[in-house]
Amino acid sequence: MNAANPVVVVVPQTEFGVGNSRFAWWLVGSLFVTAILTGLSLVVGTSTIDLSLRWLLAPDALSNAVLWDIRLPRAVGAWFAGALLGLSGAIAQALFRNPLADPYLLGSASGAALGVSVCLIAGDASMSALAWTGGLGLTGSAFVGACAAIGLTLLLSRGGLQTSSLLLGGIVVAFVLSALTSLLLLHSADTYRSVQAFLLGSTAYLSWHSSLLLAMVFAVCVVPTVLLSRGLEMLTLGEDTARSLGLSLRALRLALLGLLSLATATTVGQLGVVGFVGLVSPHLVRESLHLSQRRMLIAAALCGGALLQAADLISRWAIRPAELPVGVVTACIGGSYLILLLWRRTRNA
Amino acid sequence: MRDSARDAALACRDLSVDYGSRRVLDRISLVVASGAWTSIVGPNGCGKSTLLRALAGLMTPAEGIVWLEGLAISSWPRRERAKRLAWLAQTSLPSDLTATECVALGRFAHTGWLGSRQTNDESAIARALQATGSTGWADRRLSTLSGGERQRVHLARVLAVEASILLLDEPTTHLDPPHQEDIGRILQDQSQGCGVTILSAFHDLSLALMADRLIVMSTDGLVGHGTVTEALAGDWLSQAFSTPIHIVQHEGAYLWKPRLGSAARG
Amino acid sequence: MYRRGALALLLALAFCGGGVRAEPDAGLVFHDALHHELRLARFPRRVVTLLPSLTETVCSLGECGRLVATDRYSNWPERVKSLPKAGGLDDAGIELIVSLKPDVVILAHAARVTERLRSLGVPTFDVETETYQDIAATVTAIGGLLGVPDRARLLNREIEESLQAVTTDAKRDLRGRSPRVYFEVDGGPYAAGPNSFIGGMLARLGARNILESDLGPFPKLNPEYVVRHDPDVIFVSERSASSLADRPGWGSVRAVREQRLCAFPAEVGDTIVRPGPRIAQGLKAMADCLVRVAP
Repeated sequence: MNAANPVVVVVPQTEFGVGNSRFAWWLVGSLFVTAILTGLSLVVGTSTIDLSLRWLLAPDALSNAVLWDIRLPRAVGAWFAGALLGLSGAIAQALFRNPLADPYLLGSASGAALGVSVCLIAGDASMSALAWTGGLGLTGSAFVGACAAIGLTLLLSRGGLQTSSLLLGGIVVAFVLSALTSLLLLHSADTYRSVQAFLLGSTAYLSWHSSLLLAMVFAVCVVPTVLLSRGLEMLTLGEDTARSLGLSLRALRLALLGLLSLATATTVGQLGVVGFVGLVSPHLVRESLHLSQRRMLIAAALCGGALLQAADLISRWAIRPAELPVGVVTACIGGSYLILLLWRRTRNA
Repeated sequence: MRDSARDAALACRDLSVDYGSRRVLDRISLVVASGAWTSIVGPNGCGKSTLLRALAGLMTPAEGIVWLEGLAISSWPRRERAKRLAWLAQTSLPSDLTATECVALGRFAHTGWLGSRQTNDESAIARALQATGSTGWADRRLSTLSGGERQRVHLARVLAVEASILLLDEPTTHLDPPHQEDIGRILQDQSQGCGVTILSAFHDLSLALMADRLIVMSTDGLVGHGTVTEALAGDWLSQAFSTPIHIVQHEGAYLWKPRLGSAARG
Repeated sequence: MYRRGALALLLALAFCGGGVRAEPDAGLVFHDALHHELRLARFPRRVVTLLPSLTETVCSLGECGRLVATDRYSNWPERVKSLPKAGGLDDAGIELIVSLKPDVVILAHAARVTERLRSLGVPTFDVETETYQDIAATVTAIGGLLGVPDRARLLNREIEESLQAVTTDAKRDLRGRSPRVYFEVDGGPYAAGPNSFIGGMLARLGARNILESDLGPFPKLNPEYVVRHDPDVIFVSERSASSLADRPGWGSVRAVREQRLCAFPAEVGDTIVRPGPRIAQGLKAMADCLVRVAP
């Protein structure tokens, strides 16, 4: 303390101090963008915009099916899926302290692809297998495959105490499962195309049922994650410090990994493998805001939701009435943004 | 081993730590005096940090036992232990937190996951900021502060825990002399004014000698532990460093006087 | 006799892009679809085929005995199943093929495989298998290659007559109906456009494809397109048939509501998607179903 410093102590009353109003504006802005994108989703598709508008004014059975059974659930489902991906990406990047971490780093994408392949091939092989896999469906098989892959990664890295062994385990599992999938697909040429389509990601079949499922999983994941964010904040100070402050590192890691896995496996089951949303959302948020972990997690989710909605719109609009796989669109958007980030970073260095 | 070991704030018996196949600490037994500031000194590789981390409960020893307030440290519930022991690491990772947010994290052991900050938390944070003179940059991000300012914020976090025992690993590394002074003065205030037990590892001998007691280690093990006067009388430092270490007393402080020039050649 | 046969063949194949010239000193010369020249001392006795439709063509010409290996997907007729499998078009087993010392390898558009085999001294014969019209040309080209041009002509005539018969019967049984059809090749959904060879078959039957030709042969559609165009009949794989109603909005499609679906098991599906000599069977399967379920 020196003479220039008054003795009066100023203690900020709010928990997160600076940038309160900025964050509030950002929240409002992102919800506004979401509303606009949802509205656009109603009018974008295989019909021209004015035809869609006319449908809204004078609905009939056909247009009702298109607008409310196809377009709106796609927009809503895409938002929740994107929010799950954004949340998972933020968790992965905070947990592994790696800005390039994405939700699939534990091998879930390869596991889902294997699950889908097994389902398709088994379905072709015999009627009884078809009945069994039909009950599970492609979405169920993808979900089971993703969970199995993550479980394998955790097993390989012996409970995931070390982030480095988790990362390595994830890479190994991804490679091995991809190889297995390729081996399986050798036997059936047209299953190969189906699995390729799955790997590119698609929002084409999102129904109200899928949207509800995605929304429920989002609620189940976001609440505990936000509660655990304090732990992530402590982790930024270093592992020893975090432990000395009373944090159980192992419990925090396992809990967050569990939430990450649930979020990713659900999204992969419903949409296939949609890349870049989880990777890019936290970076996009950090562009305009400095945030505590708690706010970063929420903001990344909102950003991811809007991003995937926008990608879904582009995939429907670009080559209508045909459709681009949404994973291709997110790769283009996300890839361009990453190139921009890298360019800026090397220019500043 | 005397029974008083179990009543002390922090003590260990036959503590041995291995790094892989290499034994770093071999059967160390000592008692950390309560309410005093103890410095651990010794040459590189003697295991200062290791001893500190083992006493903080951050590593599992290969053999031996560490006691915190008479109870084995491994049997303390995590939060209770965190309320009594505060740790300051040697290096800190870059962070986007503001100073106040960082200091507030020190209250985790008291508030837990779900608790919000109560008035006593707020006043603990305020006192910690004041004690370390960090109120001037309370709202700034750690990444925008200088090394000295950042270290004071981390020290404030440690103080905010309101623990009875502070463990500090090289708290003055990479700090300018004026900042080193500040840290030293804060620690003295805490131990003499507030009766906190402080255990610190120091590289710099003059800073280490600001403490009340010393634990002197060499690469072969513990040389001795006791008051600074006992250490100087027994010339423990020269034994530890395997070379004559000359300490002078000046204006109430102990200083290390390096032998340079003609004195060394003579 | 040699020369006369060759000359006749030359005339017959003049518009196709495959050609044979017999030169008394140099043996036989063939030209394939890539305009590569193939010189052989005599008609090939050991043949490898790398596409199921080509295998079926060789066997339909009665020359199954000449096959020494096929690709892994060839499964008709039964006897080819026991032949060594040389991989697929993209990943042919080069070593296996070379070790069998074939006189020729018949394949379609696999640049890497063709290069490699030729560099190793294995003769290759490339054919086109994209469109409906390619079927006849392929039969003729392979017939010429194997030295059975008469049988090739006969086979082509048989195929054409069968196709005609199927078409006539279908048109009669449809009684002037021209159902609007959606043919789904794969979940995705990937549809068969009017320009694809499946689209050509549908057109032959008098069905109207709900896809426009500017979308390309096999576009990936926005599923709402199908809902909007409300086809009368849907051709779909057996695997997807049961889950069509689960797709959002598809419950209102006429073909789904009234279960006017044509789903074929794999063996039948093979005759439809392979542009080969069994095409008439495939067309018959499609026609039978169409006649049965069209409104």
